[in-house]
Amino acid sequence: MKTINPNTFLCPLKRSALFLLLLLNLTACESFVELELPDDQLYGAGVFNDYTTASAALTDIYAGYRDNTLLTGNTEGMSYLLGHYADELDLYTSSLPNVEPFNTNSLLPGNPYLAIQWNNSYNLIFAANSILEAVPNAVDLTPEQQNQLMGEALFNRALIHFYLTQLYGAIPYLSSTDYETNRSASRKEEVEVYQRCIEDLARAKALLPQAYTNASRTRPNTWACTAVLARVYLYANNWEQAAEEAGAVLAQQDYYALNPELDEVFLVNSRETLWQLAPNAAGGNTTEGPQFIFSTAPPPDSALSTVLLNSFENGDQREQAWVQTVTEGTNSYAFAYKYKQNTNTTVSLEHSIMLRLAEVYLIRAEAYARLNRPAPALADLNALRQRAGLTPLAGLDGTALLDAVVQERRVELFTELGHRFFDLKRFDKLDAVLGELKESWDATDRIFPIPQNELELNPNLRPQNDGY
Amino acid sequence: MKNKTTRLTGAALPGLICLLMSLSALWASASPLQSRVTGSVTDTNDNPIPGVSISLKNSNTGTQTDMDGSFELLASPQDTLRISYIGFKTLLLPVGNQTTFNIILQQDITDLGEVIINAGYYNTTRREQTGSIARVTAEEIERQPVTNPLAALQGRMAGVNITQTTGVPGGSFDIQIRGVNSLRAQANKPLYIIDGVPYASETLGYNQTYGSILPGDGLSPLNSINPADIKSIEILKDADATAIYGSRGANGVVLITTKTGSPGKTRFQARLQSGISYVGRTTQMLNTPQFLQMREEAYANDGIAIPANAYDINGTWDRDRYTHWQEVFIGRQAETLNAQVSVSGGSAQTRFLLSGGYQRQGTVFPGDYTYGRGSVHLNLNHQSTDERFRINLSTTYTSDQNNLPQSDLIRLAYQLAPNAPELYDEVGNLNWENSTWNNPLASLERAYEVQTQTLIANSVISYRLFDALTAKVNLGYTTSKVDEQVTNPSTAIDPAFGRGSEFSSLRTNDASSHSWIVEPQLNYQAVWGNHELDVLVGGSFQDQQRQQLGIYAFGFASNSLITNAAAASTLRITNNDVREYRYVAAFGRINYQLNSKYLLNLTARRDGSSRFGPGKQFANFGAVGLAWIFSEERGVKDKMGFLNFGKLRGSYGITGSDAIGDYQYLNTYTSTGTSYDGQTTLEPTRLFNPNFSWETNKKLELALELGMFNDRIRSTVAFYRNRSGNQLVGIPLPGTTGFSNLQANLDALVENKGWELSLNTVNLDNKAFRWESGINLTIPKTTLKSFPDLEGSTYANQYVVGEPLNIVKVFEFTQVNPESGIYEFTDFNEDDSVSFADDRQAVVSLDPKYFGGFSNSFSYKGWELNVLLQFVKQTGLDAVYQNAIPGGGANQHTGVLERWQQEGDLSRVQRYASGRVLAPALGFAYARSSTLAYSDASFVRLKNLALNYTFPKQFFRKLQCTLSVQGQNLAVWTPYTGNDPENQSVLSLPPLTTLTTGITLSF
Repeated sequence: MKTINPNTFLCPLKRSALFLLLLLNLTACESFVELELPDDQLYGAGVFNDYTTASAALTDIYAGYRDNTLLTGNTEGMSYLLGHYADELDLYTSSLPNVEPFNTNSLLPGNPYLAIQWNNSYNLIFAANSILEAVPNAVDLTPEQQNQLMGEALFNRALIHFYLTQLYGAIPYLSSTDYETNRSASRKEEVEVYQRCIEDLARAKALLPQAYTNASRTRPNTWACTAVLARVYLYANNWEQAAEEAGAVLAQQDYYALNPELDEVFLVNSRETLWQLAPNAAGGNTTEGPQFIFSTAPPPDSALSTVLLNSFENGDQREQAWVQTVTEGTNSYAFAYKYKQNTNTTVSLEHSIMLRLAEVYLIRAEAYARLNRPAPALADLNALRQRAGLTPLAGLDGTALLDAVVQERRVELFTELGHRFFDLKRFDKLDAVLGELKESWDATDRIFPIPQNELELNPNLRPQNDGY
Repeated sequence: MKNKTTRLTGAALPGLICLLMSLSALWASASPLQSRVTGSVTDTNDNPIPGVSISLKNSNTGTQTDMDGSFELLASPQDTLRISYIGFKTLLLPVGNQTTFNIILQQDITDLGEVIINAGYYNTTRREQTGSIARVTAEEIERQPVTNPLAALQGRMAGVNITQTTGVPGGSFDIQIRGVNSLRAQANKPLYIIDGVPYASETLGYNQTYGSILPGDGLSPLNSINPADIKSIEILKDADATAIYGSRGANGVVLITTKTGSPGKTRFQARLQSGISYVGRTTQMLNTPQFLQMREEAYANDGIAIPANAYDINGTWDRDRYTHWQEVFIGRQAETLNAQVSVSGGSAQTRFLLSGGYQRQGTVFPGDYTYGRGSVHLNLNHQSTDERFRINLSTTYTSDQNNLPQSDLIRLAYQLAPNAPELYDEVGNLNWENSTWNNPLASLERAYEVQTQTLIANSVISYRLFDALTAKVNLGYTTSKVDEQVTNPSTAIDPAFGRGSEFSSLRTNDASSHSWIVEPQLNYQAVWGNHELDVLVGGSFQDQQRQQLGIYAFGFASNSLITNAAAASTLRITNNDVREYRYVAAFGRINYQLNSKYLLNLTARRDGSSRFGPGKQFANFGAVGLAWIFSEERGVKDKMGFLNFGKLRGSYGITGSDAIGDYQYLNTYTSTGTSYDGQTTLEPTRLFNPNFSWETNKKLELALELGMFNDRIRSTVAFYRNRSGNQLVGIPLPGTTGFSNLQANLDALVENKGWELSLNTVNLDNKAFRWESGINLTIPKTTLKSFPDLEGSTYANQYVVGEPLNIVKVFEFTQVNPESGIYEFTDFNEDDSVSFADDRQAVVSLDPKYFGGFSNSFSYKGWELNVLLQFVKQTGLDAVYQNAIPGGGANQHTGVLERWQQEGDLSRVQRYASGRVLAPALGFAYARSSTLAYSDASFVRLKNLALNYTFPKQFFRKLQCTLSVQGQNLAVWTPYTGNDPENQSVLSLPPLTTLTTGITLSF
């Protein structure tokens, strides 16, 4: 038994302080709060130590194309929205308030589709850039694997920027994952964007293999890259190189040939396909099919416009093969029937095609036409016309030849990834064609407004595009 | 002088052994010999009172009286007995040589004289508390026909602002305790503790399943707590009260204490309530002629021919139809039912309470939807006969099921054209009117269903090692499981798309969380003469894991199989989220009282959280609280006789916040559930920054508490100032960075200061009639004090230094141009054009200017009437500007009738426009983001009215019977244009009006 001095109540205070210290020591278990990573996450560096996971990081970009960015076939993508924005689709429903402004060319900067397109696109560019930054240091990958990944990442970086500049005009071209620079990035004029695309694609072309990594061509090879390069040269008014690159692709007869049967052009094993997107699940088909196909009239969403239907020459078999009509009483409505599956099948029959040989013919035809070489230009056009059961064109040159190119592109590539709108823009026919057709068309509608939120978060993107 | 004998028994608890060993060396105190003291407690009418708490002052020792009001305990002659019971004045009696006590307790007219207040790790009283703690009791909660405990707090506590986000059952509430401290909206939630166990308040629901029907935080986990099981809810507000919760105390702490049994005769109670809920207020929308005129005028104004898809006016739809869509979609009366039974009792050693409850609530939507919740609560309490060992076990199990449509139909009620077609055709199928509309009832084909199971278990085991020293361990475990599914059958799609069940889809979310906590503690209490000391030290280890698995199933052979994911042709995992959160802490509290007049309370905590990267995991928090009970001073006592209690208190301290989400400091890739070429893809998870750390919140409070005229008037006036710095935020980034934000600390300072006033009075009190009033008022002010380089930051359009956080920067409306009929706004930067980027410079604050509640209770014999008025002064979203452009296809608030019509008109509403012509479309887009779109949303609401009649005691022999009528949200007085000034939404149901009748039986 012990007694304590009653006059010093400080004593217990000291004791309590001691307890506290003791407890602090006991509980300062730093290891308790250090955790393992959960199952659904992998350390950034670890992803690139293995080709399978590195490849999964890359193919996420393609999954993004397919599901929710510019290239998707659903309402968020260009095939649908630009079909409305140009003169390919009519809107029948009254319940899509955010699509209607595309149809009537009255977009406002706050339209949610703009933000979705913009943000998802730059998110994929970030993914491409992080691959480009990580792969050179990934010592466990073979040089071939590194080249494949780098090549595809460069290809995709260029492709997304290319589409963005078509839609928004001057845009930032981003080649790093550094948020400090990206958050205040400035816009580059279209010419400069094209130049950067060309540089990336040229590098990609050298890195990518000639052979496809799989039979269904779901990842681009060097020729797919060359085709995009040809397209960018064309858009950049570099006709010589456009013709040359397109020619290089067309020469690859071991890989590619126009499919003589129009009904087979969009099938999964078409030899006309340069690159297509794998569906999300085995037995899945395209995102375009369910978006465009309908079975009763009037159309529940959208239908092909009369002007497009009227633009087919008599006897153009593409109108039979690629357009389907639904009739109700005296009215009939048509939809794009390039993809014929609107739901899953036992085995996948169709994939969304991103690049096909017909476009390469058209690129070369246009380049030759611009270079004032009508003979080879007509030959390329006629390759497509003949397949469509039309008589070959002859004796055209100058503006008439260029008009023939625009017309051929219109009926060959309709509702495919916004080609029609880009063509009208490239040939400077927007005001003439759409201004004539649509009440609320303005000259400034040639490019979209930069999404509202972006301008607020990054002052360097200001000013807003004209007319908004 | 005190001598204490060392009596260290071997029953030390695991986890404390090492502590105790070191303590035994430190500790060498002694205890005098104790003797058995017995007695009985009666009221002034000589009726024995069971359940009275008899304790030794300044020690943990104590007991309760049994059925006959008798008690027995060990005490030494130096001890003082503290005899307390709710509703009676507390007595202090020195033991001396007396061994038998016949105690008579005096009734306390204020009821709240010496209520024990739960402060989390320790208890305190109103008299002794040095911090700021608000409290609501079971009595107040039970008066309100609500399913979510937070609903019962609205308007009842100073400094606590609670907003209901939706009237759909199962929805969530926003709660702000003393304003908004963090720039990050999600980081302003308080910490919830249920019986000592932290309760994760973030939803286990998955946005893609609940997103269209439940707004805000979605499925509220607090719905798993049956309000009828709650004994009290305490809210800790200032540094003194919250610092012991360290890093998680920044936004206040909500302590929920469940009911326990009381000794004595076994007591049964049953309560049954049933009633109806409905939307109390409708919005004035255009009728068919007004609507058609608007549409036609719009096209005429725009100079555009009526287009082919303007079915409402181009002759496709019947121009003479009129449907009051609000009546159709949200006009039903929902039935509510609430049944609760409980049995409790026990002896002085062992007490128990077992209760069960079932609550059911319908919806106001057409169709058969119900929310049902069943719960069981068990509390067991035991103490050894020598009162050294105590164990308390509390378990609650709740299961709820919620069936709802996939989306809230209120949106349609406001948007559909009043002449839109019939919902069903002649044969009763959905009418698609030749594909000219999306039949709104198709969304009823899509069903949302969720089942939640929650188990909360906790146990407190304590052992008194010496008279002054008690070891205690708090053990807790909670688990929750959520199964959500939302169906999208092909029948919800227009048949014109020709889609069969191969297009039907199902989304499911299976989520669960488990958490455990272990908190060993030591408590030392001692008295030396005029000095009283209470020391608490403890540690806390917590682990919380959660999993979410989202599946998307597509393509069914038949729609009847749609709820079975296994029957789908395609299955995709959309979300597989696994997270763990760990937390370790040491905490301590030293409470010192001198002469029972001067109080000092020191609290400290050292916290480590797994949410931060290496080197950033640990931080220290603490607070000082001081109080001076000046009414004890002789001078005051002599000169101010009316003042029976007066206390001045103040506190200052630092708390923190780690509410940033898990693993945010890591650079990782996530598998998203999408696949490509048969392989699951990986995407970069986030922009990573490994260097962020705690947000710190410095709190200051000064308060004056008074009790006058024998506590007939009690008031508290408090001033608080909280400053939150080192802001832990997701800095918004432009999309060009690839992401929308970056986790980082931002050197911005947010200040919340304000005044809180509460006043409780007993206005009348005589034998038969009693009238009490209570008023609470809060005048808050949030200010962004500093923000380095705000203009250059991505927050430039969101915040203004010197203004509150909850602001909008908008255009300043000047006029509707009398010539063109289009809105005009101030061109702040004088560049001759008005643009989103530069000219939204007008600031509208959406913070409440003041809010509070005014309650009155009247009792006359067996009758009791309680009335609560809630009031808020604020600015909110003007409903007139919430829909699409007036003249487009959507219906409008009648406010648009005031529009500009011809040249020279002076109006505040621009001309009708179709939306296809840029100038008026832009005008309206700007107006929605202008001063026009915000207007007075203040309101006074008759929040609660409860009338009870209790039959006289002998009326039904032993059976006690109470009848009640209760009403919630009965009326609202407001200038607000829209449906409800509280949730201010055109997308979510307003809080419903509820009326119930009930009966309570007990014996």
